[in-house]
This record gives sequence, C-alpha cells and structure tokens, in this order.
Amino acid sequence: MKYSIFSLARAAFSGHKNWQRTWRDASPKDRYDVVIIGGGGHGLATAWFLASEYGIRNVAVLEKGWIGSGNAGRNTTIIRSNYGLPGNTGFYELSMKLWERMEQDLNYNTMVSQRGVINLYHSDAQRDAYARRGNTMRINGIDAELLDLAAVKKMMPFLNFDNARFPVQGGLLQRRGGTARHDAVVWGYAHAASALGVDIIQNCEVTGFGRDANGKVTGVETSRGTIGAGKVGMAVAGSSSRVAAMAGLRLPIESHVLQAFVSEAIKPLIPNVMTFGAGHFYVSQSDKGGLVFGGDIDGYNSYAQRGNMPVMEDVCEGGMALMPMIGRVRLLRQWGGIMDMSMDGSPIIDKTPVDGLYLNAGWCYGGFKATPGSGLVFAHLLARDELHKEAARFRLDRFRRGAVIDEKGVGAQPNLH
Amino acid sequence: MAEFSWLSRSPLEHVLVVGAHGARDVAPGISLTEVRNFDLIQVMARRGKGAELANAAKVRFGMAAPDLPKAVSASDVTLIWSGPDQFLVLSKSGKHTIDILSQAFSQSASLSDQSHARALISVSGAKARAMLAKLSSLDLHPAAFPIYAAAATSIDHTSVNLWRGDDRPDGQAVFNLLVFASFAESLWHTMLDSAAEYGVDIGYSGELG
Amino acid sequence: MRIVCPFCGERELGEFTCLGDAKPLRPAAGASEDEVFDYVYLRDNIAGEASEHWYHGGGCRAWLKITRNTLTHEISSVEPAAGVGARQVAK
Repeated sequence: MKYSIFSLARAAFSGHKNWQRTWRDASPKDRYDVVIIGGGGHGLATAWFLASEYGIRNVAVLEKGWIGSGNAGRNTTIIRSNYGLPGNTGFYELSMKLWERMEQDLNYNTMVSQRGVINLYHSDAQRDAYARRGNTMRINGIDAELLDLAAVKKMMPFLNFDNARFPVQGGLLQRRGGTARHDAVVWGYAHAASALGVDIIQNCEVTGFGRDANGKVTGVETSRGTIGAGKVGMAVAGSSSRVAAMAGLRLPIESHVLQAFVSEAIKPLIPNVMTFGAGHFYVSQSDKGGLVFGGDIDGYNSYAQRGNMPVMEDVCEGGMALMPMIGRVRLLRQWGGIMDMSMDGSPIIDKTPVDGLYLNAGWCYGGFKATPGSGLVFAHLLARDELHKEAARFRLDRFRRGAVIDEKGVGAQPNLH
Repeated sequence: MAEFSWLSRSPLEHVLVVGAHGARDVAPGISLTEVRNFDLIQVMARRGKGAELANAAKVRFGMAAPDLPKAVSASDVTLIWSGPDQFLVLSKSGKHTIDILSQAFSQSASLSDQSHARALISVSGAKARAMLAKLSSLDLHPAAFPIYAAAATSIDHTSVNLWRGDDRPDGQAVFNLLVFASFAESLWHTMLDSAAEYGVDIGYSGELG
Repeated sequence: MRIVCPFCGERELGEFTCLGDAKPLRPAAGASEDEVFDYVYLRDNIAGEASEHWYHGGGCRAWLKITRNTLTHEISSVEPAAGVGARQVAK
C-alpha cells in the first residue's frame, strides 16, 4: 500500500522530503486521440474523465510550466453551487456532486471539506435577493438555508454586529459548500489519469496548430515538437485568447488579474467560508490557521500574475468591516492569477468554428469550484461531439444569439463581472 | 406663482460640535474649521471655447483663471482649478453669483451653482500634514504642495477639491477642502478620527480664509 | 502602478478606472449585425503593449488614452483622450 500510517511515519524521518510523484512525467508521443492544452485542474480532470468515463485513454495533457502552476494553484479553494440562473445552477451542482465523491473516485485525499458557505446580507433588499437565490437553488434540488441574525450570531459570534453602516442581518447558507485543497486536486487528477494511461507532459508550450487542407486541426506545434491529435481541447483559462489566436479565433474574453491573500496563522476562528455582502470580500481559514481571502478583480486587463494596492486595500477594508479584530493580523502572502473574464460572467464550453478544436474557457473567477464538472462536460464534448446536458447553455455562440447567462446583469463589460 | 424661500444650512450643521475633540493633554495640533455661506460656481468651457473662456475670465476677475492645478486669489474671489478647461469660483456676499457670472460667460462656458452643494472645510495646525497623510495619497510637503497649489483628488474614496490657502499668521499651512454636501458628514467623521490623537480645535466661520 | 495624469500629475491607481481597449470604434448607425456583435462582444485581448481608455474619476474626471503593457503593467504614454475639456472630438 502506497499510503498508510506507516509510510507517513517513515517519511517523517526524512522531513517528508522524499515522497515520490504519483504520476508519470511523460515525454510526448507522435500522436494522440485527444490532446488537451493546459495542465491545470480543468485539463487534468478532462483527461481523467475521458479515460475513466468515456474510455479514451490515448490522451495527452500539455502544460507550458508545471502542472497546477497557473490558476489551479492561485485560487482561494472555495467550492459551492449557489448560483441563480438556468445553465449555471445545474452545472455547478453537477460539479458539487462530483466534489462529494472525488476522493473515492481518484483514491486521493483532496481534503474536500464541506464546512459550509455563508453569504451575509446587510439590508432588507439583499435579504430578499438571497431568499430568491436560495429558493432558486432549492427548486433545483440544491441545499440552501436563509439564516436570520440570531442564527448567524450563534454560528459566528465573532463578527462585528455593531457595524452601523453595514449591519449583519443574516445570511444564505449552503452547508454542502466548503473548501478543497487546490494542489491536491491537481495531483489527484494527475495521479488517477496517469494510472489510466494519460500522458502528462510538462514544460511543453503550444506554439501553433497543425491544420489540413480543409482547415481541420491535425495536431499542435510545441516547444517539444509536433504532436498529432484527433481532437484538440483548450483548457487554458487566463491565456485562452492567446492560444485561440494561434487558430485565428477572437474570443468574447478579456484577461484580468485577481488577487488572493493569506494571513499568518491564527487559532481556529472562522468555521466556514463566508462572504461580506456590502463589499467584495470572502474568507475561509486553512487547516494551518491562515486566513485565506480575496475580493474583486483589479479591473484592468492584465497577463501579469500580480495586482496592485487599491484592491488590497479594498479587500482588507471588507475584512475589517466584518472582523475588526483581525486588524493586527499580518498578511503573509499575496499573489495574482489571470482570469478569463467572459462577456457575461459565465464560462464557455463548446466546439469552435475550427474543426477539431474545442474550447473550455471564460471561467471568470469561478473556475476552481467548477473543476470536476468542467472536466466531465468537456470530456463529454470531446468524446461525443455533443454538449453535455448540464453545459448545454455554455455555448460560444450565445452572445450572438442573445442567450447570455449574466448573473450580475452588467452586460459586456468584463471588469464588472 | 408663489415665491419659494429656500432655507439653506450647512451639511455639517448637526455633526459639527464647536470646541475641543480628541487628545486633551496637548495643545491642539489640528484646527478644523467649516466655512459657511459662500458662493461657489463651477465654470466649464464649452467645446472649442477654451481660449474664449480664458479671455472672459481675465476680463471678469482681472486675473487669469488657473489652467494648471492651482488656485489664484484676488481680494473678493478665489479661482480653483478643477480639471481641464474648468475651474471653481469661490466668493462671498453675492459678488460672483451665478446670475452675474452667467452673463460674463454666456458665450464661452457652462455654469452650475454649487453654493449649497459643497461643504468647505479648512484644516490647519502643526499636525495638519500628519493628519491628512493618513487620508490622502498626495505629497503635501511644502516643496511639492506650496501655497495656492490645488488638486482634484480623492480622500477616503470621496472626491474633493483640495488647495492650500495663505498661511495662518503663525506661519502654519492652511489646507482647504471642498466636498460634496452629501459626503461631507462621512468625510468629517473620518477626519475627526484621524485628527483625534493630535487634539482638535473645532469651529466654524462665516469668513473665507 | 501609478499613472501620471497629464492634468494632475502622478497619482495612485485607485483614482482611476479602466474602460479597456481604445481601438474598437462604435460602428456607424446602420452597421451590420456582424459589425455590432464584433464591437460589443469580441476582444483582441492584447498580450503586450495596448492602447486603453482610462478615466480619472477620483481626480480631474478627464478621460485618458494610456499605452500600457498588459504583460508587465508598464505605462509608456498617457495622453488626454479626444474631446477632453473643451477640445474638439476627433472624427
């Protein structure tokens, strides 16, 4: 047995520095049935679902850097399915259900923790909006509870309930929501996919697409040579426009930077994932004790994986409004990831106008929670050439057809989603 | 038609408490004075009329309106730069009201009366810069922000027009802040919080500094 | 990132708002559906030096045209946008 109490004890003697990689670091073959560009959570999950659900095992995942080096390792690890619009509701619940069985599916500890996600509300109007969202969720078979002030006080007595400007009035709770260990999700999918024969190829940057006389994609050009492919799937959120441009496509996507933060470790405080309703602030506490939190995107187009001070200030102000006592807690680290901001705030999973090229993009800043769901529906699309029923609305042509899925209702202004 | 009589009052009237605030065991490091009852007109050049406005301003005020972030003063009026091809006219006692100015600038500018739409707060004292440094990202060092320097900026997410007036007789710098009336109370509280540790002397005045 | 406003001088980023790519121009009245769709929804999403419209809302409220590298955040030029102040609007 690879993992046991004994192996753990044995590894402790060498400072846990000698754990072996549990997936093969493969070199590219000449040809695969499916090549997936992007070795993040979504790409690896897609490969695993292709191999395990759809029996397609001659699959390669190409990663420019090392797996999980992009947004998979840069998020705030929140999982939830509290969406309000048709299209999103069913899809994120599909993903939530896959989170619930992920560790059994992958035989890997991804530290899925259903500690609950609570969205606090601070006004009568916001309570009504959350009641409506909760009702939408329940109609769709998703758990949701509207908590009043007394229930929130009991659950989180440490909040500032005397804030005159943004008084906490209650919250919308999804108990099944929570967190998962982001790196372990990447390694878990890599581990399970690799075991089924998927080639995971790192340091392999795609530089172009091979096309035949009819324009059909025949493979990819990479920094490690030409790789032939029956089908090519893109799962490169953050860089979707750049990769699509190699195939002559322009996408309804802008790249923006989103920052995340972690504080020094403190004693157990926050029992769940919670969001501030009067500003943009969400937080949970890691098992090590650090407060893991984030807020809004910086608001300008960026491919640099770092942000700027105004958003840091804004996020910390949100935290201070809820929990003045964290004012003396020091920030340990801060980082940025590049988001595929789509024109309606919802993802795109579809064939492209280029034959043989498939797109998984536009995750805005909701990509992590979607990881297993995204993998399943993208694998379905790649295997069957048809949209999975829970992703049927994420079509690329929905903007032209006027069938946008705009949770925030701000229109084609991506920095506002 | 019935004549309306608007009763104007300061947006800070019910929050401003005259006297000492904050630290009491020191000489007040900050003076916060609200200036009441002023005339304030926003003048913005119309499309293509920047030069005409400049000429009309010179004729009306006997001095050039600022085309850089600064304020200029004559005996009865202060002109404060507020953006490209626009400035604020601050005065008292009805000398430069909207009725009067709209004739002077009828060919060149659009005007709007801001007299009761803004609050005017004057900050001075030995700790004025230290207090403002907590709120503003501007460099207010005398070398970077001399007398009559002006800025359109944000303090605590609130838009303000900030300029330095003449120094007090004791040599202390004076910073004037114009803020939207509906934001004045919020900014006032923020300023009181920032100033409290230095000891504050709060007052109001009917006179422009 | 700090931005040197041509009117106000160097200011902190928090005073500014980014609208985005300055290149797309609103299609003329009577443009085809394709042109309108392209203008509203599709983006070049430039990786590198881009020309963008920014608004100095926390300052002089002028619209600015900024050349900025989206890979590094380096700003190489800041100019008033067409039509700022009393200027004529570019055709």
